[in-house]
Amino acid sequence: MRRHTRRIFNICYRFTGNRTEAEDLSQDVFLRVYRTLGSYRSAHGGFATWATSVTRNLLIDHYRRTKRDRITDSLDDKMPVVENKESAGRRPDEQALLGELSVQVQSALTRLSPELREAVILRDLQQLEYAEIQTVLAVPEGTVKSRINRGRIELARILQQMGVRPA
Amino acid sequence: MTWTCDLIEARLSDYLEGLLQGPERAAFEAHANSCADCSPLVASVRGLVGEMHAMEELEAPPRLVYAILDKTLGPRETVTGWQAFLNVIRGLATPKFAYGAASVMATLIIILGASGFSLRKPKLADLRPAAIYQSADRQVHLVFARSVKYVSDLRVVYEIQSRLRQDENNLQTAPEEMLPKTSPGKNPGQTDEHKPSQPRQQNRANEITRQLEMMAAELPMLSERSGR
Repeated sequence: MRRHTRRIFNICYRFTGNRTEAEDLSQDVFLRVYRTLGSYRSAHGGFATWATSVTRNLLIDHYRRTKRDRITDSLDDKMPVVENKESAGRRPDEQALLGELSVQVQSALTRLSPELREAVILRDLQQLEYAEIQTVLAVPEGTVKSRINRGRIELARILQQMGVRPA
Repeated sequence: MTWTCDLIEARLSDYLEGLLQGPERAAFEAHANSCADCSPLVASVRGLVGEMHAMEELEAPPRLVYAILDKTLGPRETVTGWQAFLNVIRGLATPKFAYGAASVMATLIIILGASGFSLRKPKLADLRPAAIYQSADRQVHLVFARSVKYVSDLRVVYEIQSRLRQDENNLQTAPEEMLPKTSPGKNPGQTDEHKPSQPRQQNRANEITRQLEMMAAELPMLSERSGR
C-alpha cells in the first residue's frame, strides 16, 4: 500500500509540480482504483501498470480541467506558468530537500506538453520499460519512443533557456 | 546513409540507450562530434537523462495513506474508554502471546531456581547479588563433584563387568581335569555331599565369589586411582 502510494504520489507530483495537487490527485487515483477494481484484468499487465494507467488518465483529465484556470492565472500575474508553479506549489523546506538542479528539472517538466511530459516521467523518473509505457499510454511502441526522445530534447532546450546546463 | 542533424536528433535516445550498434553508432558519433549544433545537444541530453535517473523519489506524506484509507474504506471508528481497554486485552489473548509469556515464565523459574531463590519461602536476602553468586558457585561445585563421582563409579563398574566376563570365558574353556571329580557309581551332577547342584555350576559360583571378594578388597585402591 505504502509502496504504491509513494509511486503514484511521485507520478502526480512530477506531472503537476505541486505537492497539494499531487496529494489530492493521489487520493482520487486510489478511490478510482478501489471502485474499478472489478474491471482489472491481468491482460492490462501487472497491478502496478494498471494503477499507473488510472493515474495517467486522471492526470490528463485534471490537466484539461485546469487548463483554462492556468491561462487566466498566468495572464493575471503576467508571469510565465513555470514561475507561478514554483512559487505557489513548493515550500522552502521542499526547495532545500530537492537538489537545485532537480528543482530546475522539475520546473522545466511542467513546461513540457502533457504528452511528452508523461512519457519522460514514466521512462526517466519512474524508469518503466518501453512495453509498460506502451500499455499505460495505449499507443504503439514507435510513438512511445518518439515521445520520449522529443520530450528529452525539448526538456534540455527549456533548461538551456533557463540558463541551466546539466553536466 | 548520410547522418543529418535531424536524423541525429531523431535517433538520439536510441544512441543514449545503446540501441545503435556497429557502423550506425560510429556514423552517429562521427557526425555528433564534428557538428557544432549536435555536439552540445547530445551532451546536454545525456547530462539531463543522467540527472533524471539520479533524482530520488519523494516520500509521500504519512497523512496521505490515512486519507486514502478514509476515502476508500470509510473513516476509522475511534474507540475510547473500556472498549479500547478490552481491545488491547483481546489483542493480547492470542496463542502467540501466550506461548511467549509461558516461555518467559519458564526461563525466569529456571534462573531463580539456579540462583537458590526459594519460591515456597521467598526471602529478600536471597536476591542479594552476593547470595546469588554464592549459591550459583555452590551449585556449580556440587554438579562438578557429582559428575566426578559418577565417572569414577562408572569406571569401577566397567572394570568389574569386564573381569566377570573374562572369568566366564575362562570357565567355559577350562579343561575337564580342572573340574572336581565325582565318585564313580554316582549319578552325573551329584556331589559327594549329595547336593543336587551340578558340579560345573557350583565350581563357577565358587570362582565368582572368590573373584568378587578379591575385587572388593581392591575397590578402595581402584577408587583412589580413579579419583586422581
